[in-house]
Amino acid sequence: MNSVGEACTDLKREYDQCFNRWFAEKFLKGDRSGDPCTETFRKYQRCVQKAIKEKDIPIDGVEFMGPNKDNST
Amino acid sequence: MFANGCFHLEPPDRSLTNLTVVFNSHPWETVTNAAMQKYPNPMNPGVFGVDVLDRSVDTQGRLHSTRLLSTEWGLPAMAKSIIGVTRTCTYVQEHSVVDPKEKTFELKSTNISFTNLVSVDEKLTYKPHPQDPEKTVLTQEALISVKGVSLSSYLESLMAKTISVNASKGREAMEWVIRRLNTEIEELAATARSSIRVPMAAAVADK
Repeated sequence: MNSVGEACTDLKREYDQCFNRWFAEKFLKGDRSGDPCTETFRKYQRCVQKAIKEKDIPIDGVEFMGPNKDNST
Repeated sequence: MFANGCFHLEPPDRSLTNLTVVFNSHPWETVTNAAMQKYPNPMNPGVFGVDVLDRSVDTQGRLHSTRLLSTEWGLPAMAKSIIGVTRTCTYVQEHSVVDPKEKTFELKSTNISFTNLVSVDEKLTYKPHPQDPEKTVLTQEALISVKGVSLSSYLESLMAKTISVNASKGREAMEWVIRRLNTEIEELAATARSSIRVPMAAAVADK
């Protein structure tokens, strides 16, 4: 599956692999230990946020995490 | 594409559809895991991108996710005279909540469309079957609103039919994803078994 930002697809797949494993093996089984994917998520999110701005997609009410929130393109 | 201003002369016409699907041989965890990885699947070829915009666990241990689905679909030729295009890229914004204690997975989605003529709002809820925990029930609601166009009963029944076809496609899609995940697990197990055998064979050969 691809990302909306072509450049973000590899980052997306890396994050997805991490998340899917944690979700199935820990989260759904009631394991409350933390999410190990925050760093990969941050990298992936930065890329997606940029792609969304570039494509002018009107996303409603999402506050993007990460240090680059105020980056101008 | 039309600017918003052209079509808000009449109140929107709406069509609401409710559907229930039962997964007879899969418990809630299996279905939820598959639903989270629903795309890509061959029953939804129009979905070409899925992105997670935000994700967090709240103080009650529920996982919130906001996702963006990028879809592209061909419209019937008659659509060209109404909205001027026959292929369109539509984005869908989806917010979902997984509660592992209560065993509910609820998804709400709405299309973010540049034409703003047709809105499709969907709500899906996956829960264990109340009588049998080995089964899962999906309830699905879809609300379609078309601005400024009176929905003739023909169009309405066409939309209802499309939604019910999509719902049964949705069930097929989920079954496909569940099979794919099971195959991956089997392949992993087979690889693990063969990688244990090799060192043992080498140890025997050394003797």
